[in-house]
Amino acid sequence: MMDKPTILIIGAGFTGCALAYDLTLRGFSVTVVDRGEICSGTSGRTHGLLHSGSRYCVNDPEAAVECIEENTILRRIARQCIEFNNGLFLAISEEELAYKETFKAGAEKCGIPIRWMDKKDILSREPAINPQVLGGFEVPDGSFDPLRLALAFAGSARNRGAIFLPFHQVESIHIDGRSSVDFIILTDRHTGRSIEQHADMVINATGAWAGKIAEMAGVNVPVIPSPGVMVAFEKRMSNYVVNRLSLPGDGDIIIPQRRMSVIGTTSFEVNDADYIPVDQGMVKEMVDRAIEMIPAIARVKIRASYMSARPLIQTGTNARSLSRTFKVFDHETDHGLKGFITITGGKATTCRVMAEKTADLVCEKFAWRKTCQTKDFELDSYRTFYNRQA
Amino acid sequence: MTTTWKITLRILRQKQGETKTSWQDFSLDIDPDETVLDAVERVWAFQDRSLTFRHACHHSTCGACGMRVNNIEKLTCITPIRSVTHNNGMLRIEPLRNFPIVSDLVVDVSHFFQELEIMQAPAVSSNSTANLDYEEVFPDVAEKERLIDCIECGLCVSACPVALTDEAYVGPAALSGLHQALAANALSANLALADNHSGVWRCHSAFECSAVCPSNVEPGYRIMDLRKKLMRKNFHQWFGGKEAGK
Amino acid sequence: MKGSPSPRNFLQWFDPRGRSAGSWGFMLNRITGLGLVLYLAMHMIVLFQLTRGAEAYDSFIQLMKNPIFIIGELLVIAAGIMHGINGIRIGLTSFGIAVRYQLTMLIIAGIISAGGILFFAIHMLGGA
Repeated sequence: MMDKPTILIIGAGFTGCALAYDLTLRGFSVTVVDRGEICSGTSGRTHGLLHSGSRYCVNDPEAAVECIEENTILRRIARQCIEFNNGLFLAISEEELAYKETFKAGAEKCGIPIRWMDKKDILSREPAINPQVLGGFEVPDGSFDPLRLALAFAGSARNRGAIFLPFHQVESIHIDGRSSVDFIILTDRHTGRSIEQHADMVINATGAWAGKIAEMAGVNVPVIPSPGVMVAFEKRMSNYVVNRLSLPGDGDIIIPQRRMSVIGTTSFEVNDADYIPVDQGMVKEMVDRAIEMIPAIARVKIRASYMSARPLIQTGTNARSLSRTFKVFDHETDHGLKGFITITGGKATTCRVMAEKTADLVCEKFAWRKTCQTKDFELDSYRTFYNRQA
Repeated sequence: MTTTWKITLRILRQKQGETKTSWQDFSLDIDPDETVLDAVERVWAFQDRSLTFRHACHHSTCGACGMRVNNIEKLTCITPIRSVTHNNGMLRIEPLRNFPIVSDLVVDVSHFFQELEIMQAPAVSSNSTANLDYEEVFPDVAEKERLIDCIECGLCVSACPVALTDEAYVGPAALSGLHQALAANALSANLALADNHSGVWRCHSAFECSAVCPSNVEPGYRIMDLRKKLMRKNFHQWFGGKEAGK
Repeated sequence: MKGSPSPRNFLQWFDPRGRSAGSWGFMLNRITGLGLVLYLAMHMIVLFQLTRGAEAYDSFIQLMKNPIFIIGELLVIAAGIMHGINGIRIGLTSFGIAVRYQLTMLIIAGIISAGGILFFAIHMLGGA
């Protein structure tokens, strides 16, 4: 048997952590680097909605099917950091009520279990919801703790031999004479010292920053950071995740999390995602939208408002209408650059399958006959990520 | 329409492996409704890329961004600049106390997380058990689940005077974790973990933990409640009689 | 390691910057406790004077009438009152009683202590 191929993953967000776990289980020697700790970029700042797929069941069934499958798997493997209280898709206007049959057909087609609840039923379970509600669907949504979900994957990877180098910034990527990635130069931000890191393959899992990292290797990845605003209120106003029964739009999800309610989100485009100031106009818009669903939220104090930059893969159309599915860029077939793969797009709910597809490609490159095992076992406790290495 | 303040961030800097520490000043113009974490992140983004700090969720659910701001432990993502300084004011930013410092504002939380893991505190629990025992829970939602209050940010440990001097002290977060584990599942929680000289009996009632906790955990209350439970249990053990329900 | 707990940090117990009322209770209990222990030691020395005959003891007692020593005595009484009353608060909370009202109890303990100290101060210094 050949030596374990060494894989270097850049980015310790959901994708990087899940990928490290998958590759480690398949027997690769994995190192993960990130300029921050775990989830210091987009992943940490997600609203924490564990999608059932319902949100996409009409306009993006491909994403919806992925979501419901992954939702079911995460229920099994990541129970430790997820609130499973289901979600509601509310019809508040007549227009939304008219959308009922379209939604129902979409959900059924995607295999998402849903149930119609009438006004009385909804208000008896969630008294804070707008009393003008006309009815709604109950769907298997949930909400998770962003950092802890990533830590569970990272911890499980680390416990099986993966090495994590947080606070290591990629400075440059070096290509050898045979058009193959040779090594990368990192700065250890704790000490300020430079180190050279060799690997048989480098995987760029930097999400919204994937374009910048790919540029270092001289290749182009058409990713645009697309930030959105999230507003966290000081009180838990519901136990269900609350959505609107309509096509996805701005500010149409309220997610209960701990003692808070988080509403999101908006969508626009920026060039650089390193620091995105919170737009107060968008915060106000979010509050107004939240009040439409839960009127009493008007009297609740805002605890935090923050921005998170999704990685959206550019295809020349506007950001919102893009498919939410992820994409793996094989730079060998695309640009003739060996030993370099980019994985970007997608969302937290689907991080495991993103990792699976990427790992499949890695296995193919190394003719490594191992299949994905991440569906099979419950993840280790997220706290074990911080265990001191033996 | 938005106001802008000029503030100075005085940050305690140190590199890993060096004993030298130094204060470094950064002045910035900032909307006072932005948070201390925003200010620190702005310093990193626009002034000094070598600054290290921990952060993830930016809305008080992950617990990574705890720091000492003007000598008080703060979860910086929910601390508006307005609440801790004034226009032309200064903010002293230091890493949390009672944790080994790795570099700048980054502390090593490994021991802390291990203590919490030993206590088997769940991360998710039903509303009825996640709330403190004196809080009202509506019966309809009692069995719905939620992430528990403790976000494992370490502020309580940093504020605790006993944790300052006693490395062996289990600490307010882990003891609260045990109390939470007991509420969620009395059978698997091991009360004996708190019943020793490094456990609940080491606390000296300064109640700083509860004062700085950003997330309703009330570690002080939980430690005292553990003492009550232990005394009840030990009393019955010493003097016979039936053990009261835990 | 830098930042880790260490007994050498104990001076920081007495750094009140940024600390809440509970820490004042903690600090005062430490200071008054040490003061009372110190006093107990001195008290033993005083009693030891008896072994050196009545005269030595009388002259020593004469010395104790000096106002400086009276203020010292008042400090001992103040320490006793504060330590004792705050001790009741800590004792109660340690039995899980009224833990949520520890701050209120601290304020009440402060008021009672101040009243007691004032009473003794008037009594002892007023006559002088």
